[in-house]
Amino acid sequence: MHELSIAQSIADAAREQASLNGGRRVLRIGVRVGEISGVAADALEFCFGMTVRDTDLDGAVLELEPVPVRYRCASCRHEFHPVEFLADCPACGSTGASMVAGDELGLSFLELE
Amino acid sequence: MTERVEVRQNVLKENDRIAGELRRGLAERATLCLNLISSPGAGKTSILEGTLEALGGTPLRVAVLTGDIQTERDADRLKRYGFPALQITTGGTCHLDASMVQRAMASLPSPDLDLLLVENVGNLVCPASYDLGEDAKVVVLSVTEGDDKPLKYPGIFRRARLMLLHKIDLLPHTRFSRDAAVADARRVNPEIEVLETSCVSEPGLGAFVRWIEQRLAEKRQAGRPARD
Repeated sequence: MHELSIAQSIADAAREQASLNGGRRVLRIGVRVGEISGVAADALEFCFGMTVRDTDLDGAVLELEPVPVRYRCASCRHEFHPVEFLADCPACGSTGASMVAGDELGLSFLELE
Repeated sequence: MTERVEVRQNVLKENDRIAGELRRGLAERATLCLNLISSPGAGKTSILEGTLEALGGTPLRVAVLTGDIQTERDADRLKRYGFPALQITTGGTCHLDASMVQRAMASLPSPDLDLLLVENVGNLVCPASYDLGEDAKVVVLSVTEGDDKPLKYPGIFRRARLMLLHKIDLLPHTRFSRDAAVADARRVNPEIEVLETSCVSEPGLGAFVRWIEQRLAEKRQAGRPARD
């Protein structure tokens, strides 16, 4: 349950970005949540609501964008969603694939008033 | 009128900034820093005890930071080996973050160390997200936990450099498949190194201690100015 710390970090990051953009009110915050980032979306939304209540971010909507794990085949460059992290490429059958998405936890956009 | 601004920023940017400071400080002193992560009861503290005992006869300067939600018990256990051991009591937080490590390091008797061992809070999920400035995350998987953990908790197995298959002496008493555990860990992290350890019987912790000594040698090599 580290979602409260994550929610506070999102709020801090959003405030920083909002102040870089003229200190306008933040209406919506987009966050990319990788499948293996270890963050539970429900808990994060709950904690975010709690952490911004009665602050300048009160009312801002947290929009979570789940990012599935994606592998890229080292041989044929095909990208695919692995079944249980198996690196077998469905296109060419080789096994050397590396993860290119799925462990991120990042701000993607802000909607400002 | 509303405006949408695209942002590309890691949510844990502030933690990453402090971790970067820690990493630079550790590099300047050629201090190797390992971050031990496991579920509660996997054996992190016992592994540290055995490691400190093994390193006791060497000239290495070692310190330990041990994280727990409550109690000073681990630090009390680890102080017996003659090296500084500080408890980081998180008071409810389920992981260590870089600022906790930075504050604790300031309380160590000296920052001049060869090896800093950080024992994270027992948890296979949350600690994986937080960079502490370490050289390597070491994930401890004890065989009594089951061989399905690498695919159930892929985040930490992906980010760890080394996996210790611990309590390996108990293998005959469990249904744990070491082949399955290693294969699954390598699905999420093809580069992960694996060693087998036990605190109570063979093979002991020798392989882990040698692994640390190899990493120490690499760290010193990296810290040495290049010759022309």
